[in-house]
Amino acid sequence: MRGKVLAVVLACLFALSAAAQSASDRDADSKIRALETVWDRAEEKGDIGALNLIFDRSMIYIDEDGSLLTKAQFLNRARNESGSYVQWLSSSIVSVKIYGDTAVVVGNYTVKGVHGGKPHQWSGRFIDTWTLRAGIWLCVVAQSTPVLR
Amino acid sequence: MRIVPCCILLLAFVSASAQTVLPIDPQEARLLSLENAWNQAVRAKDMKAIDSLMDQDLIDIDYDGSVMTKAQYMASVSAPTISFEHVANDSMQVKIYGQSAIVVGVYRETGMKNSKPFLHRERFVDTWIQRKGAWMCVASQSTLILH
Repeated sequence: MRGKVLAVVLACLFALSAAAQSASDRDADSKIRALETVWDRAEEKGDIGALNLIFDRSMIYIDEDGSLLTKAQFLNRARNESGSYVQWLSSSIVSVKIYGDTAVVVGNYTVKGVHGGKPHQWSGRFIDTWTLRAGIWLCVVAQSTPVLR
Repeated sequence: MRIVPCCILLLAFVSASAQTVLPIDPQEARLLSLENAWNQAVRAKDMKAIDSLMDQDLIDIDYDGSVMTKAQYMASVSAPTISFEHVANDSMQVKIYGQSAIVVGVYRETGMKNSKPFLHRERFVDTWIQRKGAWMCVASQSTLILH
């Protein structure tokens, strides 16, 4: 009898734990999606303060041409100091996967802007990786790949 | 008598050199070895080895922007129309964030596809998650290096 009670209690605890984890993942999912939207709007507006808040200090960005940018280099570009900047950006998230304190976002984007001083429009796919630090999600790495076919 | 100071100097030099070359975290070393194992597995088309490195949820964005699941990625490597001659990484950086890690680097591959030679130089980011002590790749993306 005790064995059955223990089994039921354990099953309930497992179910509660799984439900709590699921709720936590849903919460993280919605936060990450909101942060991705913040990123898009901040890049359009050249809002360096907002971008600074959502990027980890060690953030690495891989651009469409395969070049590697540090956080500072990415922010400088967003400030329109390099002759390349975004005027309009539309992205759609394909999936958000939560692995504990890490989230992996996969999506598509289309950008209209100026690249090397010339008007330019391009489309691509991205993966952004976020980590939870002291209760705050920060982007640690992001990469863009143009769609060639 | 001069041999002793010379030996001490030599040991100090060797020790300093070793410290310059080897200050690598064991987990970083593990991840670098997994990246190299992945390359060897691709070159040899060792699907069992590739399978063991990748999480079931793996998402791969290839250099041409195509998105692949684990099954699709494995099918692309094992396809009879492609063969790999040389597969190697360089300039790798590892960053560990608790139970997750990212590896950024440059990937070079040469081979034949549909009877035509190919050469790719790509910047990649791989995201790894530690599960029950084992690192599994959950996301991989490549972008052609144009400059």
